[in-house]
Amino acid sequence: MSKKIIIDPITRIEGHLRIEVEIDENNVVTEAWASGQLFRGIETILKGRDPRDAGLIAQRICGVCTNVHYRASISAVEEAYGIKIPSNAEIVRNLVTLSLFIQDHIVHYYHLHSLDFVDITSALGADCKRASAEAEKWTDHPYRNSVGHLESIQEKIGGFVKAGRLGLFANGYWGHTAYRLSPEENLVHMNHYLEALRIQREISKAIAIFAGKTPHPQNLVVGGVTSIADMLNPQRLNDFMFIIKEVRDFVERAYIPDMKMIVSAYRDSIRAGEGRAVGNFMCCGGYRFGKNGVLFENGVIRGHDFESVEPFDASKITEEASRSWYENDAPLSPYEGDTTPFYTDLNDDGSLKTEGKYTWIKAPRYDGEVMEVGPLARMIMGYTKKTPTIRPYMERFMEQTGLELIDFSSTIGRNAARAIEAQICGDYLFDMMSDLIENIKYYDEETWTKYVFESLPLEGRGAGIFEVPRGVLGHFVRIEDAKIANYQAVVPTTWNASPKGAKEGRGAYEESLIGIVLADPSSPLEVLRAVHSFDPCLACAVHVIDASGRELSQYKISPLCSI
Amino acid sequence: MRIVIVGGGIAAVYIANTLMEQESRSEVVIVSDEEHPPYDRIHLCKLVDDCKCVDSIALELHPAVGLELNQKIISIDSKSKRIFSEHAAFHYDKLIIATGSVPKTLFNISGIENAATFRSQKDCEAIAQGIIGKNVIIVGAGPIALELLDTLMRSEGPETITLLVRKNYLYSEVISREGLELIRGIFEADPRVRIRFNDQIVDKEVSGNRITKILTKQGEIDNPFVIFGVGIDPNIAFARETLECNKGILVNERMQTSVADIYCVGEAAEQRAGGFVAGRVKECTIEADVMIANLLGDESKTFKEEVAIDGLKVGSFLFADVTGTDFNPKDPENESILISHGDRIDQYIVNHDRLKRFIGINTNIDLLALKRLIDTDSPIDAAYLYSNRLMSEKGRLVCSCEGVHEQELVDIIKENAVTSFGELKEHSKAGRTCGRCKQDICAIISATPVDPAEAARLKEERIASAQAAELAKVRARIEKYNALHPANQLSPENLEEALASFEMSKEYNRWVSMITASMHLHPTYEEPVKEAVVQLNKIPIIWLELSDCTGNSEAFIKTSHPKVDDLILKYISLDYHELLMAGSGDQSESVLESIVHNESGKYLLLVEGAVPLGLDGKFLRIGPKGETGLALLRRVAANAAAVMSVGSCAYDGGVVAAAPNPTGAVGVAEALEREDIINLPGCPTNPINIVGTLLHYIMFDEFPKLDSNNRPEWAYGFRVHDNCERRGHYDADEFVREWGDEGAKKGWCLFEMGCKGPYADLNCSLVKFNEGTSWPVQAGHGCFACGQGKIAFDSYANNRKLEEKPNE
Repeated sequence: MSKKIIIDPITRIEGHLRIEVEIDENNVVTEAWASGQLFRGIETILKGRDPRDAGLIAQRICGVCTNVHYRASISAVEEAYGIKIPSNAEIVRNLVTLSLFIQDHIVHYYHLHSLDFVDITSALGADCKRASAEAEKWTDHPYRNSVGHLESIQEKIGGFVKAGRLGLFANGYWGHTAYRLSPEENLVHMNHYLEALRIQREISKAIAIFAGKTPHPQNLVVGGVTSIADMLNPQRLNDFMFIIKEVRDFVERAYIPDMKMIVSAYRDSIRAGEGRAVGNFMCCGGYRFGKNGVLFENGVIRGHDFESVEPFDASKITEEASRSWYENDAPLSPYEGDTTPFYTDLNDDGSLKTEGKYTWIKAPRYDGEVMEVGPLARMIMGYTKKTPTIRPYMERFMEQTGLELIDFSSTIGRNAARAIEAQICGDYLFDMMSDLIENIKYYDEETWTKYVFESLPLEGRGAGIFEVPRGVLGHFVRIEDAKIANYQAVVPTTWNASPKGAKEGRGAYEESLIGIVLADPSSPLEVLRAVHSFDPCLACAVHVIDASGRELSQYKISPLCSI
Repeated sequence: MRIVIVGGGIAAVYIANTLMEQESRSEVVIVSDEEHPPYDRIHLCKLVDDCKCVDSIALELHPAVGLELNQKIISIDSKSKRIFSEHAAFHYDKLIIATGSVPKTLFNISGIENAATFRSQKDCEAIAQGIIGKNVIIVGAGPIALELLDTLMRSEGPETITLLVRKNYLYSEVISREGLELIRGIFEADPRVRIRFNDQIVDKEVSGNRITKILTKQGEIDNPFVIFGVGIDPNIAFARETLECNKGILVNERMQTSVADIYCVGEAAEQRAGGFVAGRVKECTIEADVMIANLLGDESKTFKEEVAIDGLKVGSFLFADVTGTDFNPKDPENESILISHGDRIDQYIVNHDRLKRFIGINTNIDLLALKRLIDTDSPIDAAYLYSNRLMSEKGRLVCSCEGVHEQELVDIIKENAVTSFGELKEHSKAGRTCGRCKQDICAIISATPVDPAEAARLKEERIASAQAAELAKVRARIEKYNALHPANQLSPENLEEALASFEMSKEYNRWVSMITASMHLHPTYEEPVKEAVVQLNKIPIIWLELSDCTGNSEAFIKTSHPKVDDLILKYISLDYHELLMAGSGDQSESVLESIVHNESGKYLLLVEGAVPLGLDGKFLRIGPKGETGLALLRRVAANAAAVMSVGSCAYDGGVVAAAPNPTGAVGVAEALEREDIINLPGCPTNPINIVGTLLHYIMFDEFPKLDSNNRPEWAYGFRVHDNCERRGHYDADEFVREWGDEGAKKGWCLFEMGCKGPYADLNCSLVKFNEGTSWPVQAGHGCFACGQGKIAFDSYANNRKLEEKPNE
């Protein structure tokens, strides 16, 4: 007799996501449904507007990955008009985006995800001396690891628990048998949890140096960037580098070692492939630096077949809505369908109508197949294609932990890939900053490519496709009569949180849940872990559904990512 | 709208202050050719006494008014709407000329050391330095000449002082012979003073840049220092080319000149009909009120002369003058009624049983009563004036603008232990409209015996009782909340312990100070703020995310003061927040249910995101039962102590409700059909504005003062433009014209690049973002007024200037 569990809201993610799973008598998950429960229609709002204004509206798609929507939107318009931005503008944009990568990864792991692994209450019973020694097992120079400091952390947590207000931490799954870490390991993690609060705030400052503020920065215009005064101010450049240096230190001495610790504690879960999806990975690559350097590789891998990597071809992207709340019911390419909202509601008891339409999220497919995007895909791609910016970092981590490449395709592996990526971004930000300083040194202060809007073509189409913290993001714009005729954003979470399609095949979230064993079905911590490991961003996922899918088929998307 | 006022006197300041009061969205700039901020010309005499103290007669100017000094305007270009000084140009939408007048002289005195007029602070310096050991000659008999004479008499400097009067009267031709003799006697009691009637300058001897001798009809004066007080001409040379002028700039009864959008008031203006030129402060302010009403679109206001109350500011005697608007000194039917007693003379000028003018010396007649008599045109007979002295029980009228009498002032001073003009402000507006009686009031204040000990005691008592009342309110509030939360395990004692264990007391104090300052509270409130922060931790707070992007939550958790905000975050009872909670699904829902049911009427609800009403609200569903966002909001809001909408989407739908509003989204207030929702718009809202508003609620048992859109004035009472770091460049006409140009490198004003700072009511320019790191204007992009709600996303979110509406 199977039993259904509904988890809604899934907390510690951005947006409104619902997961329903079906388990058998052994508490093994046999089927899963991921559903976005909010529709806002930002793309509909963009229609008819001046293309130059798209960025400020589009960035409101998400307040978490806000900068990347802003950038992708403006880049799409630039591509439509054939405007090439100056080198300085590209670098400043990259500095902001890659800083966001690090911030997003740190916040995701420590503040939104680590409580799935770390039991706060257990840390109270830790022996601080042993905890300090424990931290030294994972790195030669652990971050803030004196016994005295750990004692003070323990005291802080103790005072916090003693004060009786768990607030946001109330009703966690504390004491759940799926928590594996020893009291000492929990304490080391909690130490870093508190430090990370400060670190992520510091990175926000670095972003604000060039972007004015975050969330919702305000430093881009079609043709370039506006923060030229900050760019030419040596103090601001120095402040930025100082922060990144501090952050890199944290990543190397806390984030990466913590990840090794988790890998070690959950090695059996990794070996069992817990949280593994179908093994289709997609990357668009990007982020140039130096003379010929590119940070991320593009490519597509199917079914964990690491031997054969296809080049990424954006024109193979399609979206379908057969299980989504839109009028088109036929299992056709959504480009031909009508995507006017068609809401079939929930069951009377509030559960999903799992046999029919059940989500606001559309189902994007690459060459007809479900894809997983994000740090895991990027790290696997970089390793497989022997990318010099990625392979050495992966090799080092694999050597130190004994992981195989396939092991990364799991709940824990996804997190490890994310940590490695944070490390890489921190290092290469310095290369990009060097490029900027080199430009300024030789009197290249250009930040904007001049154009006269009235003289630009009245029609055009373009795409801004980027690797962003959660995966591949694409904004597509078609311009007619100097106005936006159609706008479409295909975001990372749409790929990962995709519902089932007309054909067989679950979305990545759904697939990753199949086969998971729940220790206690009333506290489905294992499900949360798997879903959280994707870093869901549902505000992102839900907005993409709008009434404009049909026209997407008319786009001619350039085969490689545009930057 | 940019309103430029040319001139640096009382009229200019009055106009600027009144405009700021009535229409604070406009930008007001005063352009003055003086090197000092506006001061009160009436009190120039005070400057001759002690010419270092120009500050003491400075006029109070609204802080948001822009001030351009040392800018003598030389021409107007009404087509491009610009005015030019020798080295700058100023753009205007509306131009107001209030340049006043220039004093007349009988011969050219430029370059001459020992001759001066009496108009500006510079003149005062020249006089004060030049008169020592000189035979001073004051030419003229009007108020200016007499007030100057009174001042110079008190100076040791002059050898002699001669008042040269061309005719045979002082002050006015209608003054009674008795009055004239009385005044003359008072002046000539000083042996150095001679008043020569029917005399005038006929020649002079000049050596180099000095006058060595003055020859008059009646004799000669050696070693002179000549001061002209003979009259004034409107100061309008710069406007003659552009505007129709006669003696002054011609204006209609709405104070409009011959050119659209240019107004003129005060001594520079001449009424087209009737030729009236204002001379008294009151007349100028009446003109200014008419002009402002018209400028702001109220065309019903027209200028009419009023009965004027005036006087001489002299130390030796009291002198008052009430003049009807139709008084004609040449009218043979005028009849003078004189009532004198000792050194007091009341002179009534009556025409066909109607009072037309009153001149009083050392009188205590109720001047306002006389003004009413003239206004109502009531018949009077001489006997009435004899028998009814219209004595003012309140003593003489000190401030004719506010109608405050001497005795009233004395009472206020004593009761409130007022010891300075500044302290008087909170008790009476006397002396603050035209400023004319300010010195008088200062004299009354210093002459009123206030026992220093008693005064200090009274003052202390008053302040203490006010603070005690405020603190009592705060404490009552805290007790109330303590009583409301019996289930709460946290007592203030172990909170302190927790604070200590977090080693954050220092940052905590700093944070408290910062919040206190941000809320514009006096530092003495730090303790209550601290207590309120402690209290905040016990008020259950529910943060609902509806149709949102999580941007406000992100800002809230990311960008406060380091460390301490996580303390707040943890100690605040933010019991339900989708983004941050440890529990999911059933676990989190049970928290929500328990707060809604167990803490009914006590918890605060913060809502982020718009409310989609389309599709019966089903564009958003939350929770295992699939409740719609609207239903959830209604249910949770019903039992909340208060509801705050955070961010522009919760305010009025924001970007989600931008055209064509695909999901029928509205703000929280509209969704709930309630008018008591506190709005904190912004995209995202600066966290300091959220926490500050919560603290205010806890401290004062009520929400802070709200504006008409239910936004707290302490955070939304600012215009981004007014406090912008680039504002100086706007005033200097230094604009970025193209992205990345030289101006952009130098941080010039972004107005031409579509910055909407002038349309944004927010404190971003003051508090900035990400721990004060930056804000959109600093990043060179400009503001798009994101806090104004959905209109920002339909009209402001672009890099173009707003198209100006025609005829505005």
